[in-house]
Amino acid sequence: MANIAAQRIKREFKEVIKSEEVAKCAIKVELVSDSYTELKGEIAGPPDTPYEGGNFVLEIKVPETYPFNPPKVRFLTKIWHPNISSVTGAICLDILKDQWAAAMTLRTVLLSLQALLSAAEPDDPQDAVVAKQYKDAPDMFRLTARHWTAAYAGGPYSNPEFDSKIRRLADMGIESHDARVALSSFNWDLERATEQLFS
Amino acid sequence: MSSDEGDSDMEYSDDDCGYADYYNTVDDCDIDQVDPSKSDPEYFLFECLLVEDVERLLNENVETLSSNLQITPSLAKVLLHTHGWAVQDVISKYQLDASLLLVQSRIKPPHPPSHTTTSSACGSQSSLVSKDGLEDDENQSNCPVCITASNAEVFSGLACGHKFCKDCWSMHFEVQIIQGISTGICCMAQQCDIYAPEDFVLTLLSKPSLRDKYQQFAFHDYVKSHPQLRFCPGPNCPVVIYAKEPKAKRSVCSKCKSSFCFKCGMDYHAPTDCSTIKKWLTKCADDSETANYISAHTKDCPRCHICIEKNGGCNHMQCYSCKHEFCWMCLGDWKAHGSEYYECSRYKENPNIAHESVHAQAREALKKYLHYYERWENHSKSLKLEEQTLQTIKSRINQKVMDASGTWIDWQYLLEAAMLLAKCRYSLQYTYPYAYYMEPSSRKELFEYQQAQLEAEIENLSWKVERAETTDRGDLENQMDIAEKRRTTLLKDFLEV
Ligand SMILES: [Zn+2]
Ligand SMILES: [Zn+2]
Ligand SMILES: [Zn+2]
Ligand SMILES: [Zn+2]
Ligand SMILES: [Zn+2]
Ligand SMILES: [Zn+2]
Repeated sequence: MANIAAQRIKREFKEVIKSEEVAKCAIKVELVSDSYTELKGEIAGPPDTPYEGGNFVLEIKVPETYPFNPPKVRFLTKIWHPNISSVTGAICLDILKDQWAAAMTLRTVLLSLQALLSAAEPDDPQDAVVAKQYKDAPDMFRLTARHWTAAYAGGPYSNPEFDSKIRRLADMGIESHDARVALSSFNWDLERATEQLFS
Repeated sequence: MSSDEGDSDMEYSDDDCGYADYYNTVDDCDIDQVDPSKSDPEYFLFECLLVEDVERLLNENVETLSSNLQITPSLAKVLLHTHGWAVQDVISKYQLDASLLLVQSRIKPPHPPSHTTTSSACGSQSSLVSKDGLEDDENQSNCPVCITASNAEVFSGLACGHKFCKDCWSMHFEVQIIQGISTGICCMAQQCDIYAPEDFVLTLLSKPSLRDKYQQFAFHDYVKSHPQLRFCPGPNCPVVIYAKEPKAKRSVCSKCKSSFCFKCGMDYHAPTDCSTIKKWLTKCADDSETANYISAHTKDCPRCHICIEKNGGCNHMQCYSCKHEFCWMCLGDWKAHGSEYYECSRYKENPNIAHESVHAQAREALKKYLHYYERWENHSKSLKLEEQTLQTIKSRINQKVMDASGTWIDWQYLLEAAMLLAKCRYSLQYTYPYAYYMEPSSRKELFEYQQAQLEAEIENLSWKVERAETTDRGDLENQMDIAEKRRTTLLKDFLEV
């Protein structure tokens, strides 16, 4: 790893650990390897959003050319959000692409991702299915996102109706995650989800 | 080079370049001694330039601006690049409000930078340096990117006041250039979009090999932002076309012979305009599966139902079995096609469609699209088939000459007829997207009337070309004249310039 990249990451690591957000348990970074090329990030779901109470783990890969190129970041925790792929966790965020600036840091990235959870940009979607639901059925979107937060990120709000629909599909031999994806994609219409799963 | 050149170089040659040559000579059959810009709706003046010529042309613009405004050539380039190389426009904007112009061109920040130390100049959010307790002494400052303390003289920055060390600038430029970015390189500070001008980049860039790359990419960007210039779309062709008055007209590369619309760089598309043809091609690509089923090469004879394969370009078909003459497109009797009632090209819209169900409307929309798509696709195929016919004609001429029936010169007219046929059919093909997007109106009726007339004459010409014997010469030349007149009439009335 290039000298400057390692030097920067070491310094940034300290910055995040000392930051006030860590004190509030809002963001966190951990080393995955000793080489500083791979890190694990964590952000808390912002209050008054469907992600509240959840904890979202991020994979952070630091390129050789860091900080002149952005870090590669994706969600490891499954999440229902228009700008984040519900399948791969890939993120659509300008500062992780062409709006990156060498003077930005991991802390800026984590805070920007947290801001993204508070304010989605459905016109620049990563996940077209989620974005469509966000626009066309906002209440359904909120319930679904909150359900995913409970299912994958340790969120507190369970939804008995959704859970029972997933169980119905599980009884037919469908894995619960696949059932959740299908139901979420069809606004929890059990019939249409079933049709899609068995077609 | 201008569009009225090259009418005489259609000499017969044995190489099988097909129509390629033809598309490149934008000739007129009978050139009158009148101003071609008025008589020829496709007239277009352009020049084929090499890289050196283009550099000279750009540098002239840069020099004019930099001497006029007393600014560096490097800044002049940023101003010109961000303003479509409109020198006079930039000068008048500068005189009106220089500061505003510099802000809009991303040379100056909207608010003057605060005069603080280098380390805190990066905005409050990036606190790597200020928070870590390292003290900036008199001569040493910390670079916010590499967090290394250095003497003040190794720091530099743009008008925004964000300062970084030399090595970081150099690395930043390297990473950007490797990604193909040149004129778009910005400051390294967060949310700062001030451009790094050429002289700033070249002074700080340490790798010599990247300097050439940077200049190549910048040149590319400049040509792209210059409305009078367009790269030849031919593969690996270095030629740049220059047109004093840029228009959506046919330009032809003198080097690789590519022929394309100057304005959009796509295949020439008169009478359709650039945005319509783009919309049409996107639609065709999106709906390719729907449209696939009609691309069959065979149809059944409408009278005896025997399967007929289309192996020539002509849409005037004759069944080999029952000799019935019919139209390949609409399968109607050919006799009706010669008359005033020729309506094969026109789509008859259902006047009550607004009151029909959503399903019926969707079906109607698809039917309408397929009508136009089928004709568009069919003429495109006919063009290709007629290219084969050209080869057949060449061997037919060889045979005739060997049998001592006429000389090469005597047969020249047949090749010319085939060339003209291609030109007319090409225009006809591009009338279909135009008609598809036209709102029902009397103008559309006129367009479709002229389109039908052109189509009829083209099929007559095609029929005659495929069957020509030496004695038909006068008749064929008459037909050529009629077809070309129909084509220019339509273009004169509908080609927007
Ligand atoms: Zn530095
Ligand atoms: Zn700046
Ligand atoms: Zn070329
Ligand atoms: Zn065009
Ligand atoms: Zn027949
Ligand atoms: Zn017809």
